[in-house]
Amino acid sequence: MSRPFNSHMRRRDFLRTSAAAGTMALAAPRLALAQGASDLTMHTWSAAVDTVQSHLNAFTASSGINVNYGNSPWAQYREGMVTKFVGGAPLDMMWVSDAWLPEWVEAGWIAPVDGFKNLTQYNSEAEEFCNDSMTYNGRQYGLTYYTDYMAFLYDEEKVKAAGFDAPPTTWDEVVEQSLVMKEKGISDYPMMLAMAQESWLIEFMSTLVFSHGGRFIDENGMSSMTSEKDGAMEALQWVVDAVSKHGIVSPACVETGELSGLKAFASGNHAFAMVAKYRLRMLNDPEQSQVAGNVQQTLMPKGGNGAHNTVGWMRFHGMSSQAAADPIRAEATAKLIEWFGGKSDGAYKFQKLLFLDIGAGFGVKPLFDDPEIKAAYNAYGDVEVIKAQQSLAMQKDVVTPWFGEWNETNGTAWQSAILGNTDVASAIAKSSDAWDELKEDY
Amino acid sequence: MTDTIHKPAVDYRRRQKLARISRNLAILIGALVVAIYVLAPVAWLVSSSFQTEAEIVSVPPHWIPEDPTLRNFEAIFTAGNEEEITYENRSGQDPASGGYIPSTAKNLLPAMWNSTVVATLVVILNLLVGVPAAYALAKIRFMGRDASIYFILMTRVIPDIALVVPFFLVIKNLGMLDSIWSLVLTYLAVTVPFTVFILVQYFEGLPDELDKAARVDGCSRIQALVRVFLPLSLPSLVAVVLFAFLTSWNEFLLALMFTQTSASQTLPIVLAAFTSDFTISFSFINAAGVLAIVPPIIVAVIFERYIVSGLTAGAVKG
Repeated sequence: MSRPFNSHMRRRDFLRTSAAAGTMALAAPRLALAQGASDLTMHTWSAAVDTVQSHLNAFTASSGINVNYGNSPWAQYREGMVTKFVGGAPLDMMWVSDAWLPEWVEAGWIAPVDGFKNLTQYNSEAEEFCNDSMTYNGRQYGLTYYTDYMAFLYDEEKVKAAGFDAPPTTWDEVVEQSLVMKEKGISDYPMMLAMAQESWLIEFMSTLVFSHGGRFIDENGMSSMTSEKDGAMEALQWVVDAVSKHGIVSPACVETGELSGLKAFASGNHAFAMVAKYRLRMLNDPEQSQVAGNVQQTLMPKGGNGAHNTVGWMRFHGMSSQAAADPIRAEATAKLIEWFGGKSDGAYKFQKLLFLDIGAGFGVKPLFDDPEIKAAYNAYGDVEVIKAQQSLAMQKDVVTPWFGEWNETNGTAWQSAILGNTDVASAIAKSSDAWDELKEDY
Repeated sequence: MTDTIHKPAVDYRRRQKLARISRNLAILIGALVVAIYVLAPVAWLVSSSFQTEAEIVSVPPHWIPEDPTLRNFEAIFTAGNEEEITYENRSGQDPASGGYIPSTAKNLLPAMWNSTVVATLVVILNLLVGVPAAYALAKIRFMGRDASIYFILMTRVIPDIALVVPFFLVIKNLGMLDSIWSLVLTYLAVTVPFTVFILVQYFEGLPDELDKAARVDGCSRIQALVRVFLPLSLPSLVAVVLFAFLTSWNEFLLALMFTQTSASQTLPIVLAAFTSDFTISFSFINAAGVLAIVPPIIVAVIFERYIVSGLTAGAVKG
């Protein structure tokens, strides 16, 4: 019988071959990196992949710059990006959520883009809350990818059945119309509010606060929630009264998430709803909604000190610090950001494509005058109302590095008050104290 | 007197029979409950893959589709991937519409292929590395043998999440980002310790005399392993193959970190990418899910008769 591994020479040969293979494996990547040095790397979450790829191919054809495009699932995108940043993976441009901006800037992962005139030239045509949402410590970090806001929708048929000619314009009128609907048996809980502890909750709370003329924090970043006139007290008091005093909002709202609330509204259970504006299209689609054709948007009702404000959110194209460190790469990346977030071939092509393809809202005002966009919006809504409400959208004022920690406390405090476990003043005070403590700690 | 002796004997037999029937009935009901609990999600997955989006969200749910459709499967199998994407031929699907098919549907079959290649390579390399290592640890006495076994086992105590960044740095420096080799390499690091541990336990249960007899007959170590030990270790090898295959097939975290294009993305990543920040097409995802469970089922069916004995291999040291 042969003994293949019993000879010293063969064992040495084996070790020698293994060492050579290992050396080659370690050397190979450097060759590969050198070969692809001029290419840019862009990473996004997996939305509108075909639309992005088609626009990217046009960019390469126009500029001669190759771009390696990668994408990963939305739900795990942030975690994946953090690993890529920490691990130093090649990365030039990426999509960023406004909620992550402070964290990514403080960690030194993304760089400001306000040094590039070809990017800042679009600020004058962008919605103010979009510019605000991309700005941190006075520096701008990108150009808009998509934006949307919280809208107030109503079922026109139910409003008319209750004997009203027009939808409510104030939160008091919401109560008034809802009570009539309850009395006439049109709806048990006419107003749909989704106040479950989930990522949407801060959007709902911000909308209620802003539309009542309040803010969570003042211009110095300190809590202003406890202020009777321009804090969060009035908004929370309205919700508490709506649930326990008037019975127009279900107590189960603290367990209702945005999607469940949307489905309930689509099934005809409610007359009024606060949902993301892009849901309007689905609600007026007969294949997906029982109230299709009846759902209209009106300006967000206002409180005593309010002015129909709502909350807006946005995602943007950002530049990595890695790219910014190399002037040639930074310039190429800025061109890529402009191609997507600004104009390409003289038009806001990508934002328009995104809207027409997947219904994603845009952050630049001139697109509201585009005939194709007007026609698309008017097919299921009123473009003038949509435009008017977008101009009243405000940036979330609580997006800070400690937002995540505070958000837990704040959500729980609001829910306790809604359920009657604590009074409004104590709930807001608890949330306010948590904010100031966290601000001190950071 | 006869009556009083006879009566309890009859009652005793009836009671025994009743107890046996009750026990069997309880087992049957229990088995049915467990079977329904286990199979209901799979049944719903299959049923909903043939339903439209509107039917899936209907209340009460339709376990048998009222208006079955093959639209999702057609989208998966007819999606082309060759042509360069332009403004004209882009998918442009609206997720707000009821019949939404994600534009990444065309990546599903390539992702299945990537998953199959990765899982197969991991299984083969696992056996090539793990079997000789386990044999050496089980049958060759050397200094530090026990410490080596415990060290190998210890590597499995570290949670995967803690390994992500170190692995990422190694993979990046090797230039393997966005390559299926990054997955093969890291999955081996995860699966080989388990393979070695299971096989060491099994080989130790086989008598040393077999090894000695083979060596006396002129076998080299390798020949003793291949001709004597491997044929006796089939159940444990099956357990190892199944573990390595299923671990590689289902792994998500490392694949999420190391892959970024359809050239290397595996099935779990492409499936997760079907949920966007705008909407989720339950109907399409469930159709993709049905396809995703087919290969593991085939593997399980092929090795079915070895699975139970294989899974307990090494559990009791003889």
